[in-house]
Amino acid sequence: MENILEVNDLKVSFNTFAGEVQAVRGVNFHVKKGETLAIVGESGSGKSVTTQSIMRLIPMPPGEIKGGEILFEGTDLVKKSDKQMEKVRGKDIAMIFQDPMTSLNPTMKIGRQIMESMIKHRKIAKTDAKKRAIELLDLVGIPKPEQRVDQYPHEFSGGMRQRAMIAVALASDPKLLIADEPTTALDVTIQAQILELLKDIQKKTNTSIIFITHDLGVVANVADRVAVMYGGKIVETGSVDEVFYNPQHPYTWGLLASMPSLDAEEGELQAIPGSPPDLTNPPKGDAFAARNSYAMKVDFEMEPPMFKVSDTHYAATWLLHEDAPKVEPPAVVRKRIEHFKEKAGER
Amino acid sequence: MKKKLLLFSILLVFSVILAACGGDDDSGEEGTSDNSGDNGESTSDNGGESSAEQVFKANIASEPFSLNPSLANDATSSAVLLQTFEGLTRIGPEGEPQEAMASEIETSDDLKKYTFTIREDAKWSNGDPVTAQDFEYAWKWALDPNNNSQYAYQLYYVKNAEAANTGEGNLEDVGVTAVDEQTLEVELENPTPYFLELTAFYTYFPVNSKIAKENEEWYADAGENYVSNGPFKMTEWSHNDSITLEPNEEYWDKDAVKLDRIEFAMINDFNTELNSFKQGEFDWAGSPFGSLPTEAIPSLKEDGSLNVEPIAGTYWYKFHTEKEPFNNVNIRKAFAYAIDRQGIVENITKAGQVPAMAAVPPTMFSDNEEGYFDAVNIEKAKEHLQKGIEELGYDSVEDMPAVTLSYNTSESHAKIAQAIQDMWKENLGVEVELSNAEWAVYIDQLHQGDYQIGRMGWLGDFNDPINFLELYKEKGGNNDTRWHSEEFASLLEESQTETDSEKRTEMLKEAEGILMDEMPIAPIYFYTNAWVQDENLKDVVMSGLGDVQLKWAHFE
Amino acid sequence: MLKYIGKRLLYMVLTLWVIVTVTFFLMRAAPGSPFSGEKELPPAIQANLEAYYGLDKSLFMQYVDYLISVVKWDFGPSLKYKGQSVNDLISEGFPVSFALGMEAIFLALALGVLLGAVAALRHNKWQDYTAMIIAVLGISVPSFIMASGLQYVLAIKWSVLPVARWESFAHTILPALALASTPMAFIARLTRSSMLEVIGNDYIKTAKSKGLNSTEITVRHTIRNAMMPVVSYMGPLISAILTGSFVIEKIFGIPGLGMHFVTSITNRDYSVIMGVTVFFSVLLLVSILLVDIAYSLIDPRIKLADKKGE
Repeated sequence: MENILEVNDLKVSFNTFAGEVQAVRGVNFHVKKGETLAIVGESGSGKSVTTQSIMRLIPMPPGEIKGGEILFEGTDLVKKSDKQMEKVRGKDIAMIFQDPMTSLNPTMKIGRQIMESMIKHRKIAKTDAKKRAIELLDLVGIPKPEQRVDQYPHEFSGGMRQRAMIAVALASDPKLLIADEPTTALDVTIQAQILELLKDIQKKTNTSIIFITHDLGVVANVADRVAVMYGGKIVETGSVDEVFYNPQHPYTWGLLASMPSLDAEEGELQAIPGSPPDLTNPPKGDAFAARNSYAMKVDFEMEPPMFKVSDTHYAATWLLHEDAPKVEPPAVVRKRIEHFKEKAGER
Repeated sequence: MKKKLLLFSILLVFSVILAACGGDDDSGEEGTSDNSGDNGESTSDNGGESSAEQVFKANIASEPFSLNPSLANDATSSAVLLQTFEGLTRIGPEGEPQEAMASEIETSDDLKKYTFTIREDAKWSNGDPVTAQDFEYAWKWALDPNNNSQYAYQLYYVKNAEAANTGEGNLEDVGVTAVDEQTLEVELENPTPYFLELTAFYTYFPVNSKIAKENEEWYADAGENYVSNGPFKMTEWSHNDSITLEPNEEYWDKDAVKLDRIEFAMINDFNTELNSFKQGEFDWAGSPFGSLPTEAIPSLKEDGSLNVEPIAGTYWYKFHTEKEPFNNVNIRKAFAYAIDRQGIVENITKAGQVPAMAAVPPTMFSDNEEGYFDAVNIEKAKEHLQKGIEELGYDSVEDMPAVTLSYNTSESHAKIAQAIQDMWKENLGVEVELSNAEWAVYIDQLHQGDYQIGRMGWLGDFNDPINFLELYKEKGGNNDTRWHSEEFASLLEESQTETDSEKRTEMLKEAEGILMDEMPIAPIYFYTNAWVQDENLKDVVMSGLGDVQLKWAHFE
Repeated sequence: MLKYIGKRLLYMVLTLWVIVTVTFFLMRAAPGSPFSGEKELPPAIQANLEAYYGLDKSLFMQYVDYLISVVKWDFGPSLKYKGQSVNDLISEGFPVSFALGMEAIFLALALGVLLGAVAALRHNKWQDYTAMIIAVLGISVPSFIMASGLQYVLAIKWSVLPVARWESFAHTILPALALASTPMAFIARLTRSSMLEVIGNDYIKTAKSKGLNSTEITVRHTIRNAMMPVVSYMGPLISAILTGSFVIEKIFGIPGLGMHFVTSITNRDYSVIMGVTVFFSVLLLVSILLVDIAYSLIDPRIKLADKKGE
């Protein structure tokens, strides 16, 4: 399958009073047509900056794309002017934001907010746009869309608003949908509904999706592939199965261990100790080394390259070096993996 | 009317909303242009150059109280009425009363009866003849207590006028009778040597009785009901905005009238008045129509454009002579002598005012420029203070009761009061408190005797010293000082019956001497009119009282 | 909605009653009389005058009379200007003040929002600094100084506009500018800060992610939301314009209503004080109500009806 998006060695920095914050430090990934890529990481790992850079939504200044390329259907978005980007945004790439309570304009009717990008990009008549908006609301599972289309955001519940937001994003049939933590602000049952909806939509429209989350738990349900980000870099990438059943990077282990589980007996939650690195002054070696109980001397001195685990599975940890001692993931993680497998078997 | 108002209020708010929504921006402009259109028509030829045009433009600062001469009681009304109306006499260019509506005036030997013959060609601006009945009507109307004329007391010289006005007598008994259309007989209460000055005053003006009887509110607006008998008639009165006068073709002496139009504006800001004058929008700025801003006077003086004319007015401080320590004449004198009057007129008022060491202005008593004491005499002041303290039984100055100087709220009064406060402190060692209140409150305090030293000014109503002196004749009434002297009162009394004007002057001077010796008041300065005017404007007649007649005025 | 407005009207009547009552008694408690002058009036005339204007009745009866006249919207004759009724004064003065006020409000809004929007869109650039310097000047320079300054420069130095009076449109420009300067500065600052806040909102990012250009974003998404605080400033703005007009009307010799508002008090012209106060109060109360209604039109989240639940 062809790549719809290819990000090569992307570097993004912010110039602040404290100095240059290197938020994204050479990121490589790609998204195939009709595929869902999940980017997972703690806050501050650079995942949102990466995706907002794709949309060129980073305010510049203080933000700056220091290097690399973002190839969307073969053309480099980094080189596009603002004017040219306006034709990409909303039309080819659309975005869903984290907080549905604030990302809709409170003083504009839902329908108009959906119609806006259609009218802009598809140049269709207002009445047709409205029809289409009602269809979209129906598509995202909003009951009585004919009435809802003329309502204001405050008349919608949180979940409804996120559905509406998805409708806004889908308005111009984008080829790539970026969902930036779309479920974080919602409660658990609604979360599941929204994830279901996204999956459903992908099936119907064959859109590619980049799904950003800090919660590995939701990833298993939606993504085809996973990229784990830490300290402005991707530290492990692979198919969902590979990352969940055969995680290689200690940070991925940490994420798995800290994953809230739906099964109460598993109840042991382990937060990763320490805090993310200071990106004004990024550490010399592996950025995760300071929080890594498996860290070796080399981790503090040299950055690990991407080691190949399989054709689709890579991880950046010295533990994969042939000279490194063989280490097993911690017991909690192993237990979880077993559990995943069981559950997968059940299905 | 009421509906209109309500509608307006709703309209205003509604358009505010429109503006708020950003939807309809021109609602505001519409209102504006509508209005300017209305005004623009009436005064569209305002922009033209005036000097050759014989159009006189000036600022009278505020809406006149009333343009009915029987009701008027203020300088603003007077400025207009003097151009539009005419009494039996008029103060001529030389400052003496001359025949006006009356062509002949006969006086009885006892000076108590005047017979006026009204001019045959005297006409109202609508063509009606001016009759003796019009005078009788106007005077009695003013005296009728039901008409609430606040200046009716100006007519009290006429026999039984006071009684009629206070409700104790009958209007029929008032000593003014129209014998026939042409003859007016006036009987006076007492001989009044200056009566012909009075008949030039606006309360003595006639009113067209035919119109006034038919229309009670004839004087509320310009129009066919507003008729006058003077050199000019009022053709437009836009309340609180402007008054336009044009020559009265029916006026008996219309050939003397040169101006084609007079335009009075009402701008209650003297800086704006002067600025407008500088832009050529006015031909006159300053007194008596408007006023000059004090801070502009030095520069006007420097470039030579400032005109200064003394007028019949005195700025003085009143002492409450029944309150310690001012019940003592030496204390009063000490305070009066310790004021540096020259300093005040030079550094504070600046408009050519004359230091006052007398009560009656020099326009009436020319040697009063010298006065009865020195402009400032600290030695004498100290002597009197010492004497006063001893007489009152104090140990020292500190022992004296606290003294408060009151004035009505105004920047210029405050400046003078502060300066005098300093002088008293420096020259006498007396600490004086200052207190000010707005006019309506202040005047009540003074009348009720709730003060120790109080500022007041007096502008002459008619050109005779008695006008200044009689203020202190009686103990009550307007004499806030509570001072009384039998000798002073009887001298004034006698002067009324004295037919020899020189002897009369002597009596009045003697009375003034008593006033200045007893010092219930400390005169500060004599008022002046200060103004700038178009260089080509000629023959504007300013009387000793400071009022202006435009009858003969013209541009060269 | 209708019920709500009905209720508000009821409150307005109540408020008005309080205003009338307080003003009436405060006014009468102030020392000084409308008829006092340097020469005291003969007692008979004084009594006559008082009887004519109903001032001889007991204070309470005068108050009752007054309430009745307010209901009838007939404020009686002026005590200061003979032959003129308060209704005359209002109907002659108000259209002028209204025109001046509307022009000033229009200027304040148009220039204020423009300045504020430019400042916000060019945040921390020279345009921002320039706009804010203008705003600070507008707020800190009192309107009478602004008026004299404008008069001096534009009318006297350059002679491009008339010094004073109220005759043509050109005559209205300086006073309207002077009157608008402070509220304009206020609105500019309000617009700026409110725009900056709105620009930082997620829905602006959403709008951008839809591919809208910056003009579309500003017009459709930013301005409207940024206008809320400005709209709620309309009430104070109207009262600022009303009360501010006194100074401006005085300086420019404009025959408006603002002058009566102040001079009537010095003159103790009781009927004018009351008439103008009642008139201004009604004006303000109605405009506040309309501003509230406007607010609810702009912001759908605000419901006028005070029903509970939703």
